[in-house]
Amino acid sequence: MAKRSVWSDNRFWQRSAAWITGFASVLLIWLTFDTMAQITIGTDADIKNGVTKRVPAPTVINYKITYEMSTKRGHEVPIIGGNDGQGMSLFQEKELFFGRDDWSEEEAAELLHLGKLGSQVKNCMNCHTLLGNGAYYAPDLTKAWLDPQWGPDGSMQAMTGKNTKEEAMAEFLQNPSKYPTHARQMPNLGITAEEAKGLVAFLKHMSSIDTNGFPRNFGKIEGAVHGK
Amino acid sequence: MASNHLTGIGRESKQLATWYFTFAAILFGAQLLFGLVAAIQYVMPAFLFEVLDFSVARMLHINALVVWMVFAMFGAVYWLLPDETGIETVGIKIGKLLFWVFAAAIVVVVLVYLFIQVGPADEMSIWFIHEGREYIEAPRWADFGIVVVALGFVANLFLTGIKGKQTGIVTVLMADMIAFSGLYLCGMFFTDNISMDQYWWWWVIHLWVEATWEVYVGALAAYGLITMLGAHRKVVEMWLWIEVTMLFGSGILGLGHHYFWIGTPEYWWEIGALFSALEPLPLVAMFIHVLYDWGKTQGEQDAQGKEVSVIRNKPAFTWFVLNAFGNFLGAGIWGFFHTLPQVNLYTHGTQFTSAHGHLAFYGAYATILVGMMYIAIQGTNGIKVMNHTKSSIWAVSLLTGGMMGMTVALTIAGYVQVLVSRAQMGATWAAYFDGQSGIWFAQAMDWRLIMGVVMFAGFALLAKDFLTTGKAPVHQR
Amino acid sequence: MFEPFVDVVPSFFGWLNQGPLTLTIFLHTIIILPMIWIYRQEKKRIEQEEN
Repeated sequence: MAKRSVWSDNRFWQRSAAWITGFASVLLIWLTFDTMAQITIGTDADIKNGVTKRVPAPTVINYKITYEMSTKRGHEVPIIGGNDGQGMSLFQEKELFFGRDDWSEEEAAELLHLGKLGSQVKNCMNCHTLLGNGAYYAPDLTKAWLDPQWGPDGSMQAMTGKNTKEEAMAEFLQNPSKYPTHARQMPNLGITAEEAKGLVAFLKHMSSIDTNGFPRNFGKIEGAVHGK
Repeated sequence: MASNHLTGIGRESKQLATWYFTFAAILFGAQLLFGLVAAIQYVMPAFLFEVLDFSVARMLHINALVVWMVFAMFGAVYWLLPDETGIETVGIKIGKLLFWVFAAAIVVVVLVYLFIQVGPADEMSIWFIHEGREYIEAPRWADFGIVVVALGFVANLFLTGIKGKQTGIVTVLMADMIAFSGLYLCGMFFTDNISMDQYWWWWVIHLWVEATWEVYVGALAAYGLITMLGAHRKVVEMWLWIEVTMLFGSGILGLGHHYFWIGTPEYWWEIGALFSALEPLPLVAMFIHVLYDWGKTQGEQDAQGKEVSVIRNKPAFTWFVLNAFGNFLGAGIWGFFHTLPQVNLYTHGTQFTSAHGHLAFYGAYATILVGMMYIAIQGTNGIKVMNHTKSSIWAVSLLTGGMMGMTVALTIAGYVQVLVSRAQMGATWAAYFDGQSGIWFAQAMDWRLIMGVVMFAGFALLAKDFLTTGKAPVHQR
Repeated sequence: MFEPFVDVVPSFFGWLNQGPLTLTIFLHTIIILPMIWIYRQEKKRIEQEEN
């Protein structure tokens, strides 16, 4: 009788399947514990002590946020409260958010909570992408807070008649179809003034998350060749 | 689907399967309908604006997708279980009751999506309207209902598997379905931390479609080869174990390719890239497996001098072969295109993903589940050899042709977006709209809509064939 | 070839990730290697069954 090969033996493959599935699952759980520790939301004390977290505390809304190239890491990183010159945050330079830069830990957390709830209930993700995930019918919101369109040189502040980025955003969110920018418009979703504030806080916080350099070159290219 | 020919062992289980298949087919139609609405809105943005907005149409489109597939998957298990175990499904009465609970819950959820759409930003809306998280938008109350139904389904499967003959196919299904149901729990909580949110959200989505669902398809293909071709169980089950080894070996840690840019650590680049890069391998294996078994059984018969096809259900087998190839093409090739972080940095969140998503869901899942529906029609009508009708051929051609056309169109749109909006312009609001208004992008979206209409026509013929083929004279009874 | 450690938060996996494919080679190896042991066991079993 010809020798039977292990390679065509059901039991060998069954045991291999069990081993690989089990071990890959254990590895994934181990990696998950490691990742959980790294992406847990930071505290205000972290910010005050100059500790960089991948997902900073909600009080990050009190600070100026930018998105700058880190030569050390080879991609752009969120910079909170000023750059130390080597691509690390200084956590010093503040920025008014709806007229205040002293939002307490509780107040900021409450705003973020409202904003995150709003982002789900208003179904943002089924038109926009958040952290690149969602639908592709509207722009990515990952770094929307840093979009030049809303800055002093952009058109949205003038269009909404507001003097700050956050107020322009909040006004737009409450009456989106009043300020159409393209044939494709954002519908009115019944967003209240308070909800809009929360959503803007959510967007500002999201822009401070370290996304490993996604999106690349955000807002850096001005006056490029027109894409048509 | 008349059930007059369902007699003998497993009659009840197979009847329940036909209920699941019928509801699934209706939801498939709904999925295509809302997909058309969304496709029209890309071309004519004013269409149903502030009546049935893109966000609502798309939510219905992708939720109908997930739910019809889950229904058809449950149905397929109820169909094959008596054949595999040799006994009637244990607890079938509860199984039937849970079907009605499930179907009623889905109808309520859809009506709320359609007519309430959005609520105020509070927990109540999360509980009773929707959760606003792509693919698993179902409101929290429905989550709990789904868990109860899934538990009942898993209990049916386990009790039957333990009591009856536990074949390799049943063993794989038991392990796979408990993971499939358990994973849903990962998507059932609220957090203010969006990175944390998306981390666990991917546990549900990825570990479903790139791990447990794929293994499920492997088991279904194995069952199909045995029933439709009379392939040798021992060989088929060896392939199945190889597929499980490779699918879970690559797919579980391949989850990492969703963790490149959501705030998660740098090491996921390497884990996600290298494990997910291996994901196409089992899909190649599955394709080879189906063709190999087909050729082998046909060859054996030819050697005996019999000049007839070994295929006992031609339309179902067509869909199974399409599945083997579509899975490889849609999930494997189109997935690999953008799975490496160096590429994904620019393609993440573009129509590229959409192209992949469309062809992968169709190729990997829709095809084989439609094939299972044909197997059920064969069984319920007492057909010995089932042949193609005109409409079954037109249906499969239009659906598949439409989907391929749509995928190509979306891929082109994706390229425009990657090059213009991302690489050239840097991903801002202005960059986004520059990409969207480009002539190539706009034309691609026109073609996508046309191909969507082609698909819809294909579905209409498929529905017609489902309703009439059972009585058609072309089959051998 | 081996880069200085630049991850935001130091960790075991992060440390393994600094060289060329070192992390993924490590993970693939510890997943695949025990299959050799399974192979040998099964080979022995088949040989016993055949005798």
